[in-house]
Amino acid sequence: MAIDQVHDLQYVYRKLLHSMSRPGTISSITEPVNRMDYSIPCSEALLLTAMALLDGEVTFHIVSDEHQELIEKISEYTSAKYASIHEADFVIVLREDKEQEIRHALEQCKVGSLIDPQQSSTWLIESSVLENDGEIVLKGPGIQSEVSLQTGFPVTLWQARNQRTNEFPMGIDLIFIDQASQIACVPRTTAIAHKEVG
Amino acid sequence: MKANTHFAFFDEGSKKEIRRATLKAVAIPGYQVPFASREMPIARGWGTGGLQLTLSLIGQTDVLKVIDQGSDESVNAVSIKKLVQDTTGVQLTECTEEADIIQSRHRIPECSLTKEQILVLQVPIPEPLRAIEEREYMTKRMHAEDDYSGAWLMLFEQIMKFGKTATTADHPVSVHDRYVMAPSPIPRFDNPKMDHSEALILLGAGREKKIYAVPPYTSVKSLAFEDYPFTVESFEGAHCHLCGAVDVFLDELIDHEKGATIYQCNDSAYCIEQLNKQEKVEVESTYA
Repeated sequence: MAIDQVHDLQYVYRKLLHSMSRPGTISSITEPVNRMDYSIPCSEALLLTAMALLDGEVTFHIVSDEHQELIEKISEYTSAKYASIHEADFVIVLREDKEQEIRHALEQCKVGSLIDPQQSSTWLIESSVLENDGEIVLKGPGIQSEVSLQTGFPVTLWQARNQRTNEFPMGIDLIFIDQASQIACVPRTTAIAHKEVG
Repeated sequence: MKANTHFAFFDEGSKKEIRRATLKAVAIPGYQVPFASREMPIARGWGTGGLQLTLSLIGQTDVLKVIDQGSDESVNAVSIKKLVQDTTGVQLTECTEEADIIQSRHRIPECSLTKEQILVLQVPIPEPLRAIEEREYMTKRMHAEDDYSGAWLMLFEQIMKFGKTATTADHPVSVHDRYVMAPSPIPRFDNPKMDHSEALILLGAGREKKIYAVPPYTSVKSLAFEDYPFTVESFEGAHCHLCGAVDVFLDELIDHEKGATIYQCNDSAYCIEQLNKQEKVEVESTYA
């Protein structure tokens, strides 16, 4: 059965908004994802999130260059256009993408300008299972004191992300999507600290 | 003729565009994100920004409350409520606690909001620097450069002229210690409610085509000088003549029979709730 373009996408948007306004808060979009039956080379939760946000007015980029089929599918489902990493409004990262490639993309993607900080890229990242205990501690607007989050995103990539967000209001906003159809967001305002090992 | 409108009035493309702008607004607290404000069946400047936010947010299971200067029953609130309900079929409420989305013109409800709720504020002039600089081109640059001397000067001049800051409503605030923001024309009394609010606050200006936001638990400081601290409207010694409430925002009215000044809760839903509580206690104590 297909998803409902009106109500399911509204449902996903509200979950996204909830998680974006409360960084680190994990929301589940399992309900509409269970109704999806698409054959695509990415998780259905990622496609559903893309469908909630993308349309013909925006562009997207897929980090790995081995995904011609996925580019076509996303274009077909959302009408969004594919663009280079320098121009893309949305950047999509898949589980199997190499750390090197992701870091390169983090360095190249658009972060907006001081005058128009909204002209920045939003990242949709397939992650390992999201949990509220683990590697990083988040602080900032939307968080009462602090919240910990596990995403499977390696330290070096967080460092690259911190590099691109250290000149607030410029920066990038990350949306993590796991295999269990859960989402968590880390907007540019969030300060990341790594838990001490040992 | 009654048109058969799409769910929540908008086409899906319009909703998506507003949604993308809203997410950006949440990620950049206090920054006014431009959006392609749509033509609405009510006039611009009558809450179209708030209405567009509400329509982009609302789902079938949501419960909606709309207030206009504290009242659930004034024309602006009623017409917006009707439009949303006619196009979505959602449940309406006057009780603040029951609502998932609260759209408001110029007030923040008296009872504190929860993390499950979203407050949508209607904004006539989103630019706090507009009184100082008419050109959008320039105000955008001032925000970029963190140059808020104009806003400070405005307050300073008021102190010079009147001996105090004379903003009646829409007293500018600094969000997350970065952007100076117009909190919409809420009384100063409501400014502190924005600071570290549990609920997400979204602000929409339809005529000016801007969406901005204050995420929960975000610092919102009203601009003030050390020697002239920020103060809210004082209702010392006054209480609501209907429910007796103190520590709420009161409207000043004239009792036409006695010619005396009386006060009444501005938030009508809060007032009715207090009256119902009192009546319940009264009934229980009389008949129990």
